Amino acid sequence: MDSQAQYTPGMVRMWRIYRTTKQMCRDRGYDIPVEDTEISLEEFAHRCRREDGEPERSQLHYSATPTQEMIHKYTPPATAKFPNPEPQIGSLWVEFNADENAGLKQLREYMVHLAQNNHYSGILVTIKPMTGMAIRMLRNATGVDGQVLGGVEVFVEQDLLVNITKHELVPRHILLSHEEKKQLLERYRLKETQLPRIQVTDPVAKYLGLRRGQVVKIIRMSETAGRYASYRWAI
Amino acid sequence: MPPNPILNNSTVSTNAPPETKAVNQRHLNVALQHANIIEQRKKVEAQVLESIIALMDFPNSPDADPKRPSASDATLFREHLVLFQPSDYDSLIEERNIADKCGYTLCPRPKKKTRSGAKKQFVDTERGVEIVDKKVLEVWCSEDCAKRALYVKVQLNEEPAWTRPESYGEKIELMVENPEEHHKVLPLRLKSENLTPTPTKPSEEDEIAAAWLARDDALADLAIERGEKPGRLSKASKDLMTANIKERVASATPPVAPSLDDQPSQAHMAIEGHVPRENRRDQQLDEEDDTEDWDRHLPG
Repeated sequence: MDSQAQYTPGMVRMWRIYRTTKQMCRDRGYDIPVEDTEISLEEFAHRCRREDGEPERSQLHYSATPTQEMIHKYTPPATAKFPNPEPQIGSLWVEFNADENAGLKQLREYMVHLAQNNHYSGILVTIKPMTGMAIRMLRNATGVDGQVLGGVEVFVEQDLLVNITKHELVPRHILLSHEEKKQLLERYRLKETQLPRIQVTDPVAKYLGLRRGQVVKIIRMSETAGRYASYRWAI
Repeated sequence: MPPNPILNNSTVSTNAPPETKAVNQRHLNVALQHANIIEQRKKVEAQVLESIIALMDFPNSPDADPKRPSASDATLFREHLVLFQPSDYDSLIEERNIADKCGYTLCPRPKKKTRSGAKKQFVDTERGVEIVDKKVLEVWCSEDCAKRALYVKVQLNEEPAWTRPESYGEKIELMVENPEEHHKVLPLRLKSENLTPTPTKPSEEDEIAAAWLARDDALADLAIERGEKPGRLSKASKDLMTANIKERVASATPPVAPSLDDQPSQAHMAIEGHVPRENRRDQQLDEEDDTEDWDRHLPG
């Protein structure tokens, strides 16, 4: 811990947040090298340090592209009408907002930036929770008339200090592809409405960026059965 | 010839979607009515959001004076505010502050900056020194703007716009020092002067037409009184309330009070459908018969 002493608390905080976002993107299936998810504090500080020792947030923005595997997962099955379906995923833009309070103005600027650079979806990390009106706008924008195709997710810095999926009580969540979901439903002769559910506002669902209608496989450790898999339908 | 399967030819699937036809036309109407209300609510919320986005960058000219706003600015501001609740107005102030502007919409100046960056500040008041949040201090550019903005806030309707009996005659007043300018711009509804009575005697057809016109006018007035605006969803649902008035016709025969003889049934005496022997109406007759019979069979 001696090595951390020479950095300001703000810098250490930002380092942990940055690392968590990288891990999150990797877990979602974006093309992020492992080294990025384990970036050392020294290297991080070297990249974004200001004179006063605090991190410069504007240096930290990054974009991520989905891996082949992820693209495959997000591509809906081909039908007679759409023989070549578009994958419902694309490049992601991660931005760390430096303003004390984020409101409509910041969100609008962010969305314009996404649209201009043709990013499919975005993650905005804010220092404090956004204002109510901004959240209302977010809800509308991810709906039908969204300028940003895949929607914008907003995280508060405090929620990203630790990676919640690394906690021992959080089981592994795996997103199923369209085919896997179909197989599951056929195997158990279910309709999707008959599955147990998970809210899209659930912390892990937010971490994985689940969308309504997707199914996750949850693998828990069991003392009697070894491993136990259950499936949940995001709602 | 293979045997015909008996069980397989019933192809009714239990998973088939429910029949789309509503059980009852009335159910459909009720559902539609409620769906329309929700739809209207969504519309109002979207409008409020748009208004806030528009009012965030108000006023458009940097040298506008909050004390003497231009008439066009004032009318725009008031039009936007009609749908607002006080909480929406608070959000507007919040958003303006984040954009580093004075909370009062008609003021172009930046918000006041406190001297130090501390979270709590000392403020001299009549009751001595008070400790106040920095956030509270940095809302307005001056006391005057605060007064004007709160003057607007107290006039806003607490009730959300989608449930309120729509703003009949609701007009938000601004605290301005040039009221005469604003009154000129207001679309005053002057009595139309061109309806002077013509000297020629109107024909009968004209009179009938005028009567119908008057009726339409009266209905429109009634709708406004009910709190409706033209083009908006009507509060008085025509589908759910049917106005089939049935006259109650007096029957020719006058009503008569019921008498006991009219009710041959003895339902009021029955115990689970059985009428006990003592209570039967024809009991006495039976007994008389019996005694006669008994007499008849007596020897001698």
